[in-house]
This record gives sequence, structure tokens and C-alpha cells, in this order.
Amino acid sequence: MAILSVEQALDPVSALLSLQNELERFMRNPAFEMGVSGYGVYPPINIFDSAEGATIVAEIPGLDPAKLEVVGQGHTLTFSGERSFSANGNGWHRRELSEGQFSRSVQLPDDYDVTRAEARYEAGLLIVRVPRAEHAKPRQITVQTA
Amino acid sequence: MAETKEITTREKQQLSTSQEQTRPGRYYVPAVNIYEFDDTLKLWADMPGVKESDVDIMLKDGVLTLTGKLGTDMYAGLRPLYTEYNVGNYYREFALNEDIDESRIKATLRNGVLELDLPKKEHAKPRRIEVRSS
Repeated sequence: MAILSVEQALDPVSALLSLQNELERFMRNPAFEMGVSGYGVYPPINIFDSAEGATIVAEIPGLDPAKLEVVGQGHTLTFSGERSFSANGNGWHRRELSEGQFSRSVQLPDDYDVTRAEARYEAGLLIVRVPRAEHAKPRQITVQTA
Repeated sequence: MAETKEITTREKQQLSTSQEQTRPGRYYVPAVNIYEFDDTLKLWADMPGVKESDVDIMLKDGVLTLTGKLGTDMYAGLRPLYTEYNVGNYYREFALNEDIDESRIKATLRNGVLELDLPKKEHAKPRRIEVRSS
């Protein structure tokens, strides 16, 4: 069920288009129980599933990685941080970029093991991978013959 | 000092043009900060997910064009469960009033933010004119 599997390598244009369509299809998916803080809280997040587990991606550009904190507790992941600009004065022509503090929690289903989560900050994206819990891994069931 | 405020979520703004793009798919307008110093204009543009090699900056006839192409490699093998934002390439144009010295433009991309240094040409710099009393 992987999106962007084969055509990815062949055609980057249609890869982006099919990714956009997939993301649109699951926009604020009501079937996914969000828990503590939902849509509208900064930063916006996308949650994915794969063979290995869940991947949470948040768009948080311009952070000092030292000011980004990710905490896992129980089934809840919390990430918080701060973005600030040092320029002062009256030379602003435009000031559209978000500034300030944020904190957001995401509650994951029992199927994922938050204690083994790994996070990285790359190109302004916070990417947290949460492996599937042992009890939720698919098992091959042997069919016995009489 | 003012208390640190909380960041609020802004909907990403989709690019709307009268012309149709030749490539299919959505484009987004990156949010920017622009600050003017005496000798230079500084611009910061949020382009999360874009790599250094995929940014294109052009200055022609006083129009500054910023383009960021989004890579999709990181999404290979991932199946969405729940989404709050869409992704796409970034595009934005600015008409510059100031005379910019094209040869000295500097650009860096750090943590998903494009930072542009647009130095003014010598003659465009402000000069203090002394008023002499006779």
C-alpha cells in the first residue's frame, strides 16, 4: 500500500502530484483519534504509517535545534520550542513569519511504542519515527492440515 | 521586555495566478520577512522541506523570483493516516524598488528558511546631506 513506490524514481512531477492528492484525501481524517491537542495548534502535523511504524512530520522552519524539545510519555508525544528574530528597529517591510513559543501533544494509538521513538530536525521539518509495538507486529499464521 | 507569545497556525497560502502553471500540482506562497538596512535588504522565506540544491533565485528587470522545489523522497513507503497540511513547491515574486547589486547577492538555506542578502548599489545607498548655514 505504499504510495510513491515505483513511479517515484521515474517521474518526480507525478510523484509530487500523487503525494498531494494522498495528503488531501486524509485531511483532518476524523477516523484518527488525535487526543490532547488537535487541528489549529501550531505546528501543523501530518501522520503516516509504514511497515516499520508511524512517522509524524511537522513543519517548523527556522528553529534553533537547541531550542526544540521532544518528549515521549505513555502514548503521548509532546514537542515544544521557540522561534525568534533578533532584528529590531523600524526597517521592516514585511513581517509574516511566525514568532514565539509553541507546544503540541499528539496521542498515538496503542499499536506504537513511544518509548523507542526517534526524532530528527531536517530542512525545517521535525520528523519523529515511532516503531510499531511488539504486540502489534504482523504475525504469520501457519495453516495446519489435519 | 514583552512576554513571549504563542505561535499561531497560519493556513498555507496556495499560489493563485491568472496563468496556469505548466507543471501540474499545487504551489505555495512562502511567508517572508523583509528588513531594510542602509546598505542592504534582507529577506527570509519559509520553505520547509526544500533542499539547498532545489532553490532557484532570479533577479531580472527589478523582479526578484524565488522558487523552491519540494523533494518527495522522504515520503517513499509512507501511507497517510491523518493530515493537516499539504505540501508543494514554493513560488513568490517581488518587485524591488531599490537598485540591487546582482553580483553580490548572497543566499543561504538553513533549517528550511531561505535567507537572502540583497546589497544595494552604491548610488542607491542613503547619503546624509549636510545642511550648511551661510
